[in-house]
Formats: sequence, C-alpha cells, structure tokens
Amino acid sequence: MLNTKPSDRALPTFISLLVIGVLLMTFDVRLAGGGVVGVLRNGTQEIVSPLQRVAAFVVTPVANALDSLSNVASLREQNAALSAELAEAEAALVSVQDDLAKLALLEQIYDLEADGGELGQTVSNVIGSVDAALIIDKGVRDGVVAGQPVIDTNGYVVGIVKSASTGSATILPITATREGLTVLVGSQTGTLVSRPFSSELALEMDLDVFDAREPVLAGDRVLTSAASTDYPAGLPVGEVIEDASPESTSLSTTVRPFVDAESLRFVVVLSWPPDPVTAATDDTVPEDTTGTTLSEDATTTTSTTTPEDDG
Amino acid sequence: MRGRTALIIGLTVLIVVLVQTTLFGRLQVVTPDLVMLVGILLALTRVRTEAVLAIAFLSGLIMDLLGASLIGLRAVVYTTIAYVAIRTKERAELGRVTIAIWAGLLTLLGVVLLLLLGTLFGQVALVGEGGVSVMVLVPLANTALAALLAPTFVRLVDRDRTALRYP
Repeated sequence: MLNTKPSDRALPTFISLLVIGVLLMTFDVRLAGGGVVGVLRNGTQEIVSPLQRVAAFVVTPVANALDSLSNVASLREQNAALSAELAEAEAALVSVQDDLAKLALLEQIYDLEADGGELGQTVSNVIGSVDAALIIDKGVRDGVVAGQPVIDTNGYVVGIVKSASTGSATILPITATREGLTVLVGSQTGTLVSRPFSSELALEMDLDVFDAREPVLAGDRVLTSAASTDYPAGLPVGEVIEDASPESTSLSTTVRPFVDAESLRFVVVLSWPPDPVTAATDDTVPEDTTGTTLSEDATTTTSTTTPEDDG
Repeated sequence: MRGRTALIIGLTVLIVVLVQTTLFGRLQVVTPDLVMLVGILLALTRVRTEAVLAIAFLSGLIMDLLGASLIGLRAVVYTTIAYVAIRTKERAELGRVTIAIWAGLLTLLGVVLLLLLGTLFGQVALVGEGGVSVMVLVPLANTALAALLAPTFVRLVDRDRTALRYP
C-alpha cells in the first residue's frame, strides 16, 4: 500500500535540508576542505573505511570477474598489443642493463656511493571509488597524509592525496582536479588542466604553454616540472596527441594522460617532499627507489624506474 | 518510523553505500546509483515523507564525505530527487514497469542535477567524468534494478507482503 498524500511538513523539511546542504557546500568552499568540514570528512572515513575494507575483500573477486567478462571481446587485440610492448620493453631492458653495468664499473672506479635520497613509497590497494576519486587502504598510520603525490606502479602520475584517515585515504586524480598541473614539454613549461566531461574512452587534458618558443609534436612526453609545488620533477604524466605551433607567444594542445585512474588496482603514495630543506634544494626524483610499505594483498612489485628511463 | 523499520533502512543504506563505493566504484560498465535509488524507492513506502527526505539527505552526505567532491552536493541532489519522488509516486503505482521507468526518469533528473550543480560549483571534472555515458548508463541501470528490487524493498521496509502486488 502506498501513501497517497505527502505530509504537510514535506515542503518545509525539503527547503530546510536544501538550505543546510547549500550552507555545507559554502563552508566547504570557504574552508577549502579544512576545519570542521575536514574533521567531518576524516571522521566519516574513519568509521566507514574498516567496513569498506571488508566489503572490498568480498566484492573484489566479483568485480574482477565482471571486468574480465566485459573485456573478453578485446582480449585478443590486447594480447597482441601487450606482446609488442613486451618485446620493446625487453629490448630496452637489455640496453639499460648495459648502462647499469657501465655505471657500476664507474662507481667502483671512482668509489661512489648512493646519496641515500630515496623517496619513501607506500604501495596501496584501491578498495573503491566515489565519482572520480579513489579510496585506498592506507592512511595516516602508514605514513600517508593529505597533499602527497600518487603514482601508479609504472611511475606515471595519478594524482594527490585529498584526505587521509587512520586506515584509508582519498586520492584525487589529475583528470578530476580543477587546479592546473605545472608540466614540462621538451624545454617548455606549461599548465595541464582537466577537461570537463572527459571519459575513459577519450581521456584527454588541455595543455597551455604561455611562453611558447617552439612547436610541440604529437608523441612528445609531458613530465612534471620543478616549478610544481605538488609533485617532484620528472614524473611522466602523459603524451601530446596533437601537433601545435606557437600563436603569438602561447600554444594550446591536447594531452592524453598515461594513467586511466578508473582501471587502477594499486597505487604508490610518495613521501614527498621528504623534508622542507631537501624540497627547497633538490626536488628531482631519485634514480633508485624502493618500497617502504607493502600491502599484504599487493602481489605486484613496485616499479623502480626513473622518469627518464621510463618508456 | 518504528525501531525495526529504522534498523532495516539504516542497514540498507549502509550496505548500499558500501556496495556503491566498492563494487560499483570499480566496475566500468554496470554503474547504477544505488544510493539515489534507495531514496527514490523509499518514497513508495509508508515511511513518513520527512523521514524519507532526511534519509536521502544523510545518505547523500555520507557519499559526499567519502568522496572528494563538495560536501552537500550529493545531499542536495538526493534530497531533491526524493522530494520529486514523493510528489510523483502516484504515477508509479500502475505496475512494475511503470515503477522502473519512473525510477529511471528520476535518476536521469538526479544525474543531470548533479552535473549542473557540479558545474556551478566547479566540480564538473570530478562528478562529470564520462558525463554523457553517465547520463545514459546510470538511469538505465537504475531502471533495471528498480524493476527487479522495488517490490521486495517496499515489502521489506513496510513489512507488508501485499505491497506492490499487481495482477
């Protein structure tokens, strides 16, 4: 049986809730996610994250099975593409091994040691998502705090930690943030901004170079810049997909990010900057990094590639 | 709202939030908005309208708090959709198919409202990922789920086995 008449208090209740909702949005904008709003967010995540871990443990096999079913049609093409990628990667590995052998020899001759400036890394499982934001199973107790940069296991930029509770954190991908990311294309510095209504089928971002001196070409790699306050320099972000020449002193083009955040299962949170003094003097990614925390479920090994070697 | 009904609704909202943020947060093809659907289907029950609005608001607020979008964005949208559902539920009484279509249309309205408010508050990159496909897939998924689950949900909440039975 259905209620036939809404009660007289439905409209006042509705208006009251709308006012409260708009007030909350205003507070969130004004406080920039901090203050009471931040406490509310962290408190909720504190309560819900243990339940989300349990739910993720149960639903992960189901999600994987359904994902596999939906991708079965494109498996053959994916296999061919992956085989080609593997052959290229193996060839690159051989040349890198030669370089490493030379490096080891030179280090031995000159009696050099590593500078010990590795960034701490925390490998985390992605246990869920809300809108475009990812929820991971590592939080403050694992050294994850708001503002830290996040990469995938290949070293490509994913985004930053938006908020962190004791046992979980929310990651905001670069494709979902309003703020521009300062990047380097060749020798030119530009700003990479997300494109509204982009989809996983056509994941694209807009690149603006305001002090353009030379054209950018399709295939050019886009790296994080030393001018970025959120990321260490030299992390690969994506590649240019359209040629563009300077018009007056600026140019605009389209960039495809290397990472589709929706398909990620593991991410790596970087402890960056390591400390304010180091950040002020040296913000480049070290050449050899090792994981400091490894999730029990994380069966993959963290990549130790440098941005320069990558790809 | 009696204690047992409140417990059933509370547990339902909790389970739905967990499933939405874990299972459906990871699937790229099947993407219903279960939390919005619960707010819509609650309008079909005997639960007081103020309570339905409050539940829709709170469940939206929880989703906001768990995500990275503005706090209150989903709360406002879910409350609005629950209110429209309360005002239009008589049109859904005709049968299982009409309930499904009604729920689908309300979901479409909710998705559009979410994208609109998200654009106004500069959150479109966050809530509008895959905007066009979201406007198609989410209402379709909610339509199918409403056809499957609406009668069972209403009977469970109202504890009335005769609710939503059609010849």
